[in-house]
Amino acid sequence: MPRIRRRQLGEWVAAYVLLSPYLFVFLVFNVFAIAYALYLSFTYFDLFSPPRWIGLGNYLYLLRDALFLQKAIPNTLKYVAVVVPVQTVISLLLAFALDQEIKFRRFFRTLFYVPSVTSSVVISLIFLWLFKKTGVINQILGLSIDWLNSPTFALPTIMIVNIWATTGTMMVIFLAGLQDIPVTYYEAAMIDGANRWQMLRHITIPLLRPVIFFVVTMGVIGCFQVFDQIYVMTAGGPLDSTTTIAYLIYKWAFQSTTPFMGRASAVAFVLAGMILIVTVIQRRLIERPAEV
Amino acid sequence: MKRFLLLLAVLALAVTACVPAATPTPAVTREVVVTRVEVTKEVEKPKITVRLSGWAANPQETALLESLLYRCSLKNPDVVVKYEPITGDYWAKIKTLVASKEEPDIYYMDIFQFPFFVSKGVLVPLDDYMAKSGVKKEDFIKTLIDAFTGPDGKVYGIPKDFNTLALFYNKDLFAKAGIPEPNENWTWDDLKNAARKLSDPAKGIYGLGVPADPGRFPIFVFQNGGRIMTPDFKDTLLDSPEVIEAAKFYTSFRAEKIGAIPSDVGVDWQGTAFGQGKLAMVFEGGWLIPYLREQFPNLKWGATFPPKGPKGRGNLIFTVAYVISKNSKNPEAAWKTIECLTSEESQTVVLSTGFALPSRAKLTEHEYFKTHPESLVIFKGAEFGTPFMWGLRGDVVNEQMGKALERIYLEGQDVGASFKQAAEEVRKALKEQQ
Amino acid sequence: MAVEAMAPAKPVVRYRDEFAWWDRIKKPIFYGVLIGWSVVAATPFFLTVVFSLKPLTHLYEPPFLLPIPFTLENYLKVVTEFRHLFPRWMLNSAFVAGLLAVVRTLFCAMGGYAFARLRFPGRDLLFWAMLVTMMIPGQVTLIPNFLIIRQMKLLDSLMALIVPGIAGAFGVFMMTQFYKNLPRELEEAAMIDGAGWFTIFFRIVLPISRPALLTLALFTFQGEWNAFMWPLIVLNSPEKFTLPLGLSWFKGEYYTVYSVVLAGSMFNSVPILLLFFLFQGYFTRGIALTGLREG
Repeated sequence: MPRIRRRQLGEWVAAYVLLSPYLFVFLVFNVFAIAYALYLSFTYFDLFSPPRWIGLGNYLYLLRDALFLQKAIPNTLKYVAVVVPVQTVISLLLAFALDQEIKFRRFFRTLFYVPSVTSSVVISLIFLWLFKKTGVINQILGLSIDWLNSPTFALPTIMIVNIWATTGTMMVIFLAGLQDIPVTYYEAAMIDGANRWQMLRHITIPLLRPVIFFVVTMGVIGCFQVFDQIYVMTAGGPLDSTTTIAYLIYKWAFQSTTPFMGRASAVAFVLAGMILIVTVIQRRLIERPAEV
Repeated sequence: MKRFLLLLAVLALAVTACVPAATPTPAVTREVVVTRVEVTKEVEKPKITVRLSGWAANPQETALLESLLYRCSLKNPDVVVKYEPITGDYWAKIKTLVASKEEPDIYYMDIFQFPFFVSKGVLVPLDDYMAKSGVKKEDFIKTLIDAFTGPDGKVYGIPKDFNTLALFYNKDLFAKAGIPEPNENWTWDDLKNAARKLSDPAKGIYGLGVPADPGRFPIFVFQNGGRIMTPDFKDTLLDSPEVIEAAKFYTSFRAEKIGAIPSDVGVDWQGTAFGQGKLAMVFEGGWLIPYLREQFPNLKWGATFPPKGPKGRGNLIFTVAYVISKNSKNPEAAWKTIECLTSEESQTVVLSTGFALPSRAKLTEHEYFKTHPESLVIFKGAEFGTPFMWGLRGDVVNEQMGKALERIYLEGQDVGASFKQAAEEVRKALKEQQ
Repeated sequence: MAVEAMAPAKPVVRYRDEFAWWDRIKKPIFYGVLIGWSVVAATPFFLTVVFSLKPLTHLYEPPFLLPIPFTLENYLKVVTEFRHLFPRWMLNSAFVAGLLAVVRTLFCAMGGYAFARLRFPGRDLLFWAMLVTMMIPGQVTLIPNFLIIRQMKLLDSLMALIVPGIAGAFGVFMMTQFYKNLPRELEEAAMIDGAGWFTIFFRIVLPISRPALLTLALFTFQGEWNAFMWPLIVLNSPEKFTLPLGLSWFKGEYYTVYSVVLAGSMFNSVPILLLFFLFQGYFTRGIALTGLREG
């Protein structure tokens, strides 16, 4: 009996020691900051005067604000619903493709990763130029749409740009995940006569589940918080068609001539709540279909 | 042995602790002698370090600032200015710094953001310093220094430079259309007629640039005798008849296909389209001049005052001032720096580079303007201009103006309805002020 | 758990012949798709390179595929304009990114292993708390974190970038998922031999986690190399700037020389691409489990 307990204790100690550097960062920089932000969400804080407690005032404001309800939330949800599946599927397919023994594998992988290293500045300059009314994209497609200045097409354009930019990163993660599956499993399966589809279904996908969950979760978090491209390319317009929740946070926190840090904090927590719900749901679907 | 090591360690610590945090980095290299101290902090004449922050200026502008700082370091040898440019989101950083009481001693203040900062009491009133140094309010252009005077009548910022809008026109296109170039007596009708004759939509050339820009449209409101906000900034006048008439006039250009917004001509700023010859006339500020010089050196252009409207002249003034932070530990040293940077000498240097227009009234007479008449146009624009500032919720006013124009352009909404909507939104935001 | 789940399927030799036609046209379609996506992926970057090699007056002008007229003046400007500062910026960025790439990867691997394999009180709660910290957008934690750094007297120093970065939720989360993915045989064998947790982790697991470690190291390096907002807020002196802050300096108050900005962005992207190209050769499949076959 004492032996097991000592072993268990050893496991606990080992765990906490291994986690200690992260716990330091977590406690000092995350927990405090989030607690403070939570406190701020119940205050009116314009940055220069001390925060003033207003209870649920900010949250109630959100329930009535048209910009938040009619633009930010729908835009964000639309964005997540499209971008997450598309970027996950494309990057997974690319990873599979580049996991094969094909010629120039290294070059293809590097080329696919190029979008991920492009800075926001460059993305904004080049894509603004590509998508302008007289630009290359319109010339190729034979259209005359003013993509980023049209309330209907601006958000889809941002989606396209983002999918373009992030697929490479996710591909790399999937590639690394695929490496972890030992060759021997596939060898054993081939000896038993399984074909490629069956190996995919019964070996690869199940073993990739944790990685898929990771990629989808990060995708969800990233998409709900999409900010950079909107900041550099459309500044939330035209006519708020690209205003997302995260952009609203920034606007209210720093861009208003009178800052509304308290309100921005409240939005942040509402956003976090939404992300949490979606993540819990997709965990059920992806990582542990049998349990939660 | 141990004792010796301990002493060595203490000495080493003391030396590293006493090395000053910064040395100024002028592009013009000059050895700034820093007195390094051994163990105690005793020095004969202590040098005061003053932190100066502004938004990033590209390399030429930076070199200019640093040359000014160098001159000032000669004038005030006991003041060391540490230049800390903010190369990104200026306001996010400054507001964060002020909120944490870490802001620099001197920083740039835009007229647009000024009301909030002054209302929160984070700036130092400068009247006493001005009196002591013999700097008078009257030395500076009235509209500028008034813009940075707080509600209590005290001056809180010394304007460093400013800009207004001028009517830039393409000489070649005017010659081709056979119409006389604009002059300072033009009226709205002249503008419209010229735009008609200059436009050739088939070739992608339009008479006037009319972006949905709250930094351009208001001049038409002023020319129509209207205002954007009430004088106390507590209410908006966006739904007043003067504004709506001005808006109707402004948006009619594009409706009649004699005006264009930037994206119509495939650019994101009308200055580029002007340089490319796609827009015959644009309202832009002095910043267009170096831009054209660098990127479109072969373009033949001229500039004159914006035309008179039904009720006279109107213009916008964009201006930036140096302010001193209330948390500064060395306001006197900070003042000396500002005084030097905005001195007649310094401003003359800036003027001759053509980057910005000085804020000192006396410099209207300067040689530079004789050889650069366009700059004189911009400079004189301040005489009949209104500062680009709409009070504590200025961002909302700008946003709503822009959106109103966008709705008219992109969704065909009726002008009156659009601006009434804008006014309502602004009023809602004003009420939020708790 | 993974071992049991992958019992091979029943032999179905028949299917192989039916897919033979597919096998034949598969290759060309395959390469076609790869090349197609390569073009899409690389074009904006390619355009950036081309535009950065043209003088400012020809920015955005055709030809788009070849830099004619050719000039290196933009690159020269980037490197020489802020003469004594540019090398400093490169150094700062390299130092921070390099140090954190190593340190954070190690610490996150440790944490990830703990979450994936060890049982301890509060594990699930802590894991989800960690996920939640990623769900709060950075704008609202900027000021509190700034206050903490200020309290620690780390303002305007590279330590302000390093200390909060020695570990992170993203990295721990990623390593957790990778370690869940890893077959347990090696660890179980070691445990039977009586090895303690630290031995198992550092001697056995770490060496075989190379793809994941390299991936995390690359992402960390890239993230820190390109980080902008946090360094902007905590660094004041130009000598302390990281490369992105320094390159932003080319955007002016009055006007911006865009071709120089594009040239500058190459210094952001190219090092990462080089690193990627070099290290992805290590992504070789096959954790050999010889000697551990069932039966």
